[in-house]
Order: sequence, then structure tokens, then C-alpha cells
Amino acid sequence: MLKNYFKIAIAVLKRRKFFTFISLFGISFTLTILIVLTSFLDHLLSPQYPDTKRNQSLYISTMIRTHSTRQSFSNGPMSIHFLNKYVYTMKTPAKVGIASIFTATNTYVNNKKLNIDVKYTNAEFWEVNEFRFLEGRPYTAQEITNGDHVAVISERTRQDYFGDASAVGKYIETDNERYRVTGVVKSVPITLLFCYGDMYLPYTLSKSNRNNTDLGGEYFAVLQGRSAADLPKMAAEYQQVIARYPLNSDEFDKIHSFADTYLASFTRTMMGTDEKSGTARFMLGLSLVVLFILLLPTLNLININISRIMERSSEIGVRKAFGASSRTLVYQFIIENIILTLIGGLLGLAFSATIIAILNHSQVLPSMYLTINFTVLLWTLAACLLLGLFSGVYPAWRMSRLQVVTALKAS
Amino acid sequence: MLKHLFKLIWNKKKQNFVLMLEILVSFLVIFAVFTMVVYYYKNYRKPLNLQYERVWAIHFEIPSRPPNRDSLLLFYENLRNQIKSMPEIEAVSITSSNVPFSMSTMQNNFNYDGKGITLNDYICEGEHARVLGAKMAAGRWFSKEDNASKYRPVVINEELKKRWFGNGDAIGKILNKESDHPYKVVGVVTDMKTKGDYQLVEPELYRRADTADYYWLSNALVRVKPTADVAFESRLYKSLPNFINHGTLEIEHLTDKLVSRNSMTLVPMIILMIVAGFFVVNVALGLFGVLWYNINRRRGEIGLRRAVGATGQSVSRQLVSEALVLATMALIVGCFFAVQFPLMNVFDMPASVYLIAIGLSVIFIYLLVAACSFYPGKQAATIYPAVALHEE
Repeated sequence: MLKNYFKIAIAVLKRRKFFTFISLFGISFTLTILIVLTSFLDHLLSPQYPDTKRNQSLYISTMIRTHSTRQSFSNGPMSIHFLNKYVYTMKTPAKVGIASIFTATNTYVNNKKLNIDVKYTNAEFWEVNEFRFLEGRPYTAQEITNGDHVAVISERTRQDYFGDASAVGKYIETDNERYRVTGVVKSVPITLLFCYGDMYLPYTLSKSNRNNTDLGGEYFAVLQGRSAADLPKMAAEYQQVIARYPLNSDEFDKIHSFADTYLASFTRTMMGTDEKSGTARFMLGLSLVVLFILLLPTLNLININISRIMERSSEIGVRKAFGASSRTLVYQFIIENIILTLIGGLLGLAFSATIIAILNHSQVLPSMYLTINFTVLLWTLAACLLLGLFSGVYPAWRMSRLQVVTALKAS
Repeated sequence: MLKHLFKLIWNKKKQNFVLMLEILVSFLVIFAVFTMVVYYYKNYRKPLNLQYERVWAIHFEIPSRPPNRDSLLLFYENLRNQIKSMPEIEAVSITSSNVPFSMSTMQNNFNYDGKGITLNDYICEGEHARVLGAKMAAGRWFSKEDNASKYRPVVINEELKKRWFGNGDAIGKILNKESDHPYKVVGVVTDMKTKGDYQLVEPELYRRADTADYYWLSNALVRVKPTADVAFESRLYKSLPNFINHGTLEIEHLTDKLVSRNSMTLVPMIILMIVAGFFVVNVALGLFGVLWYNINRRRGEIGLRRAVGATGQSVSRQLVSEALVLATMALIVGCFFAVQFPLMNVFDMPASVYLIAIGLSVIFIYLLVAACSFYPGKQAATIYPAVALHEE
């Protein structure tokens, strides 16, 4: 039966080439937009180099402090003092990686200016993230305590500063300080805020006020559990830490800060409200965008499909006259439509692969490589079926209501 | 004639419903795109009024500052002198972090005579106008001569002057009169687009840094001579650590900052336009196909009209006008939705932007529909009555 439908579908497509072209154009470009969008979202949200264990990690990125009666409000990352004393000592996480938001610095080599974004980290940062070391090793906890001037640099920095030569053991200067390179890692794109940096330094070398015992600062923490099952426990323990914190200040009397999953740590800063992480809102917004992108092409397809169906009224009349039920006809038409959409989907996949290849090649964002992976493919397939169903249902319903007599007479 | 066409379409409202819906949605998409284009273009047309080509922004993170007032002022005096001692430097101003084209903004509420306005607040020094090449519309920039003044001197931009004083004089007016910190307007500066080429000119106020501000100011803007090159920049970079307690330093050029600030507006805009462009092509093809098909279905009717004496031209004109009437019906509904934006002041944009955008979108949709129905109409004109009626 399905094979028959398939044959009919192909035959119909071949008959009216212009209409087929319009349909395929619409479907494939709509899907291209969706594939590129999902591929970018997939890049932003799913675990990847070097942050591969995202599913068993929680992220503490900001802390909001307020006062119930005064108007004071403060929002931002935390101090290294707070993270070291209260978060690093937590019981449930297996590892706690601490790193700063990056600081931009300059260096001048061979009459050329280089911008180097520096990130200060603790030793476990290297265990939480699985960086690929092209040479050398990370700096150790001992080197951090000693305050040694050591650094891990990215592949891109090595290329810019040392050329093609090996860098381990050599000295690199930035921000008017000299550091000995202990390792070189594969570069990370700026879209991965927790891991991005051109150069990583021990937090003890940070130039900002180290005696700062206040809560606010420029660091965030990644709590890594032994497995995904540890997440609720870690989140709960962090809430206890916050509740226990002796907030003896006149300015603020309430702390809001959460250990969130990767997605929630972003949605909370963008659209979170009080205790809610904003993930639901984000998903709602995203679905609206997708629906909107699908809306026009779907309407267009419906239009085209109605025209096509009316053209086939004689075929429908004959089939009805020989006893085919409305339901069979609706199924047939929807399946035909889905076959068309799938062909469009294949074309769309080819287009988007080209676009993604161009984006990757041009390096719009340095070191960012988009891929069409399994997740993206799955979403694309879902979008295809949705589009096929949406654009098929209404015309099919219109078709099934055709009277046999009128359908046959029209020809 | 028009009434007749309306009737024709009304009779087939069921068949035409999806087509109208499609035109309606396309109109709304095009309206959104045109609103943004008109808005940015209007802003782009205004002069930048800012000579940014040879201006560098220095950001310094000072680990610890002298706690005491006099030593703090001396600390900054030394830093300023060090920068100015270099021959390539023309002018220096220590400023708040919201330097031109940066993402940082600082907003505060000031009031004059009870009328409060939330404005972009800049803290800077006497040479700021020279550094940015700002032109004064009235009065002067603040300087050392204000040291003796009872009030802290401020300079406002023309936009802010217009909102507070209209066509009246601004110089000498006292702001925040009732508070502990009153300010006196000493000058009006021409509007500078400090947020990049495509952003709206907002009310701005520049106030002179005072001692309390030096506890947190950590940026400087410098104007350099044309001879300043990378070698000089490197010398400048190396000379400063001793004067900022070995803190972190970053030097950026305003030319680069302008490019990245503009691209923050342009990149989403371009993506939106590509997507909308694809929608338009898609819709155009669809309309074309549907109209073409409809005409083929109406061969009998067209043949009959030709047989009773209608010219080919009038047949094709009828088909094009039918499509245009269809578009009109969709556009009336579309305009109803679009007009809500200026009426309800949704995105805080001037009403004129929306109205121009509505006008442009209406013209665009009409052109699109006319273009799509032109060829099918022409085809219909070539139908021979004998052939068409023979088929019947």
C-alpha cells in the first residue's frame, strides 16, 4: 500500500514540475533555516569540547543580593574568597572548578598588537573540563599556592605569539608580566563562556584586590558530581550554603544564588524571576520563533497543495466512485505530502551543510565549529514531519469533501 | 467595476481565504523588517559628530588606590602627566567606563524644576571635548575655572536641552536644586552618536569628575597624533604599570569599537533580512503558481468574455485587479494590526517610523502581487475564445 502511495507521489511530482519546484524550494529553505538554527543552539547547549561532562555538572554563575526595605540591589559573579571558603569545601560535589570571567589584555610582539583574553582558574578547573593538551600539562595546585608565574595558553595564542614553534618552557609576556608556559590546549570558542580564554593563569596571580572578603567578585564555579544523580543533592547543599552564609551587612539582607544546570544558568540571567530559572520561558520563546518561521511556508504550501488537489479532482472522483472512503484519501494525501517534505528535507540538509561549512570556514567566531549531528538530524526530521502534516491536513480535508459528481464533471 | 471585483472575490471567499491569510502574514513580516530598516536608517542619517579616528580607550584595573583624598588626586595627576608626557598624545580625559561605542551604559535620573529625566550619565574631565572633537552648540566645556564655582559644572547635549528647556537658554540653569549635589549647566554640546552609527541619540549629560569619583574611575580616553603607531602603543602600554600599581591594562581603538558596535546592530538585521527575503521569494512563487493555476481553471469564463468582445488587455487587467483587490482585503486587516504599534507605543519608537514602514510595506505587497499576477494575466490574454469554448 505504502509503496503504491510512494509511486503515485513520485508520478504526481513529475507531472507538474513548476509546482514541485515551488514546494521543494519552500520546504528546503525553511528547513535550512531551522537546521542552521538548531545547529547553533546545539553548539551552545549540548556538552562538547572541553566541557564534556555538562550532564553531571551544576553551574553557579551569579549572585543577586537585595534588601527587603532599602532599594539596594547587586548582581554579578562572586569573589574567589567566597567560592574557596564556602563552595570549594562543599561535601556532595566530586570536584569544584573555579574560574574568572575573562579579562582582556594586550601584548606587543614583532611590531604587532595581540589581544589576549586571560582567565584565572583553580587547579580543579582542569579536571572538571577535559581540555586536550597539544603539549605540556596544566599547572598544579602547588604552583597555584606558590604563586608561580605559570600559564596554559590556547593553540591560537601559541600560533600568534610563537609561530609554529613549540611553546612549553618558553616565556610569554602579556599585561606587562612574564609567564612560563606549562601547556598548550586546543582553542575554545567564545560561545563557551565558562571555558573560553586565550590564556589561563592561576587565580593567585589575579591583579584584582585579593584581600577582598566581600561576596561580589569576578569568579564563578562549576560543581561536578559523580553522576547525574548527584545534581539535586548538590543544588540542595548549595542552598544550605547560601542560607548559612553570615551576611552581616547593612546594605543587603537577602542572597539569591543557585547552582543550575547549564541551560538554566543562562536563562536565569536573561529571563529568570526570583526562584524560577526561566527555562520554561526560554523554551516557550524558542517554540514561538520556530512556529513563526514555519507559519509562512506552511500557508504557502497549503495554497499550492489546494491547487494541486483540485487539479487531480478527476482521479479523486474515480477513486471515490469505486468506493474509496474519505479517510483513505486523506491518508494517501498526507503521506504523499510527507514524502514531498522529506525530499525537501534532504535538499535542506544539503543546503544547510553547505552554509555550515561556509560559516565554519570563514571563522565568524574564532574556533567555533558548527556540526549537523544526531540531535540536529532528529530535530530536522521532527520539523519535516510537522511541516508535512500541517500543510497536508487542510487540503486533504478539503479534498475528501469533494462530491463525486462535481469532481468527475469538472474534467 | 471595483464593486464587481469585490463581489467576485467575496463569492469565492472560501477558496481565497488561505491566499489572503498568506498575504496578511507576509505583510506583517515585511512591516517588521521595514520598521527596523526605517528606524536604523533614520538614525544613520544623523551626523556622528564625533572624531573617533585617532582616539584610544585605555582601561586600567587598579588593585588598590590611595585611601586618602589628596594622595588619590596626586596619584591621578601623576598618571595623567605620564600619559601626556609622551609626544604622540594630544589630549587625555579620565572617564567613567561608558566610553563611546562600548556596551557599558550608566543611567541616572536628574531633574530640573521638578521635571526628572533618566539620561546617559558620563563622568569625565576638562579635555574630554578635545579628545572626542565635540563641537559646542552653546557655552563652553568645563575646565579649571569651575574650581571656584559653588556648583559642579555639567555639559548637556542638544537632545537633553530640547527636552528640558525647549528653545530656551540652558546655560546657567541649576539641576537637582533641592538635593545635596546641585549642578550647573555650563555648556550645550551637539548630539554625538556615542552608541554607534545606528543608534538613537539619547539625552546625555557630562559631568566633571570630582574626588569621590576618582575612587572608582578606571578608564581614560586619549587623542593621539597621526604619527602614533604600534611601536608607540607598545611604549605607552609598558610605561603605565608603575602608575596604576601594576594593575591590568587594555588599550582599544575607537575605530575597532565602532565596527564591533555597529555589527551588533547590523548582524541580526542582515540575518533577519535574509530570512525575510527568502519568505518573500517563497510567497511570490506560491502566489504566482496559485494565480496561474486559477487562470487555467477559468479558461471557459475568459473565453466567453473574449467572445462577447472583451480585449485581451481588459481580460489581463481584470485578473491583475482581482489579485490587487484580494491583496487590499488582506492589507486592510494587516494595517489594523500594524496601526496598533504606534497607537499603543509598543517599542518606544517614534510613530513616524511605524507610519513610514506601513506605507512602504503596503507599496511592497501591492508591487509583489501585481508582479506575480502580471504574467498569468498576460497568458490569459492570449486565450482564443474558439479554443477555450471548444473545450467546454
